[in-house]
Amino acid sequence: MNHQTRVYENIFEMLPSEENPTPLVRINKLNPCAEFPLYAKLEWMNPFGSVKDRAAWELLRDLETRGELGNGRGMVEPTSGNTGISLAAMARARGHRLLAVVPNKIPLEKKVLLKIAGADLEVISDELCPAPGLGDGSINLAKTHAKASSHKYAMPNQYENPKNAEAHFKTTGPEIWKQTEGKITHLFASLGTCGTVIGTSKFLRTKNPDIKIIAVQPTEGHDVPGLRNVSQLGVSKLFDSSLVDDILEIDFHLAYTRALELCQNEGLLAGPSSGLIFEGALEIVRRDQKGHGVMIFPDNIFKYTSNMTKHIPGLSSGTQP
Amino acid sequence: MTNINYSNPEVLVETDWVKHNLGKPGIKLVEIDVDTKAYEAGHIPGAVGFNWQTQLQDQVRRDIISQEAFEKLLGGAGISPNDTVVLYGDNNNWFSAYGFWLFKIYGHKDVRLMNGGRVKWLNENDKQLTTELPKIVPTHYHAAAPDLELRAMLPEVLQAQSGKNCNLVDVRSHDEFTGKVIAPPGMTETAQRGGHIPGAKSVPWSMAVGPDGTFKSAQELRALYVDQKGVDPKTDTIAYCRIGERASHTWFVLKYLLGLPNVKSYDGSWTEYGSIVGVPIEK
Repeated sequence: MNHQTRVYENIFEMLPSEENPTPLVRINKLNPCAEFPLYAKLEWMNPFGSVKDRAAWELLRDLETRGELGNGRGMVEPTSGNTGISLAAMARARGHRLLAVVPNKIPLEKKVLLKIAGADLEVISDELCPAPGLGDGSINLAKTHAKASSHKYAMPNQYENPKNAEAHFKTTGPEIWKQTEGKITHLFASLGTCGTVIGTSKFLRTKNPDIKIIAVQPTEGHDVPGLRNVSQLGVSKLFDSSLVDDILEIDFHLAYTRALELCQNEGLLAGPSSGLIFEGALEIVRRDQKGHGVMIFPDNIFKYTSNMTKHIPGLSSGTQP
Repeated sequence: MTNINYSNPEVLVETDWVKHNLGKPGIKLVEIDVDTKAYEAGHIPGAVGFNWQTQLQDQVRRDIISQEAFEKLLGGAGISPNDTVVLYGDNNNWFSAYGFWLFKIYGHKDVRLMNGGRVKWLNENDKQLTTELPKIVPTHYHAAAPDLELRAMLPEVLQAQSGKNCNLVDVRSHDEFTGKVIAPPGMTETAQRGGHIPGAKSVPWSMAVGPDGTFKSAQELRALYVDQKGVDPKTDTIAYCRIGERASHTWFVLKYLLGLPNVKSYDGSWTEYGSIVGVPIEK
């Protein structure tokens, strides 16, 4: 493999590392504060399209190393899309299968992409009114498959497996430290499985314990796939409040309007979770005035056209003859 | 959690009790889910699965299943009137609590809930799940005539809200109670108006359980419902929600765990009340 010429023997050589980081791109027009540069880490530049490549690879390699896969045994995993897409594509390329259990509310694009990536799909009704700590329907159904049909399925379990956060400790954190030459003062990330924020925070704190780790969450009842409100965080066993300085709650509609602004003003085709993170970062920029911020933008807008038209109805106008 | 302080501790069994009694004669397990996808993926060995939507509801009119349909359902599941039936299910036992209520309406003597439901069993390492369907020997089940003292219908609810001395307990979420939403996001069963029945006390169902989904102790439940929320333990009580399943959960708590004297579940709940022309609503 050669990261200079970008010639690779297989797709897995493209996975990110300190030597082959995903890009950091500065926000220009939309950042009101010259003393607080903000950089977006474009995780959609990963080979399978999102930040979840990192955890998926670590989880898959761990199962392979422990001899958990093969002889007719594949994987089952609850996913809102990105982990499943990464896992399915990686798994199929390595000769394994994945049953992805997804909530019905994820965008149609993601469901179709999961199938294209080679996942078997099980779509379940959306949670009715989940109680904190009880997990949600897709997690429990995947666990049920893994327990009742353990001869067929191993479960990577991104919500509980420390390998998820470890992936970010090994890659995302060192990349950011190197790319910013140690100047980073604020990290902005969203909460889902919490692997990204916890693993990256853990690494950066070893380099500089004063770095502010800001987690951004959507308001309750949100419609931002992949993210969780704090009231839903009981499902993640990875969350560690000592590694997070602030948790900002942002009106989830802003995820969509900010994503559109990033697309139309910065040329960053960022998805709604990136929009939410950007809004959170702007709040802190206005508050702290000085700093050097890095935002982890999980994926791009291409999987969310149906959600975008739902939340920004004007996007649909003029699309018919 | 120990259940010795409950008024009727015999109606609640722990997952360990179920494990130790698997396969014993006279003990039947029934998983009741909103749909049976979870049951099909894996259930407690020996359990039969009931679909709340298609098997516990009349499929033509809005009603509980008839006595005849109940007898057919239980006979087909190999259950006899003298069996100890242990119910458990998804969504923190909402639907199995509804099943418990239905079993009591049709007079089944020994029916119990498994504390914590299927999610607790699922997350305990020493508990097994299987996809294997149980071998069933059908029975001729004879149910009692329905005990409608356990069920509140609309006229009684209207009386309760218009001043009759009766606790009305709204077990829905805060946003449903205040009318911010008519139903939780994505739910198809809804009503024409949002809000709550005037005079109802808001005690969301989830306040009755701990983080693992098991019921709080009798002392905690009494402090919640009686001391904090003002439910008068000496008068009649009606619990309601949106479609009757969460109400069954609270009905079970108030009637069996706290032992309140006359507790009914209003299964018409908000989808009925919130659609009636001219009835008073508070927000």
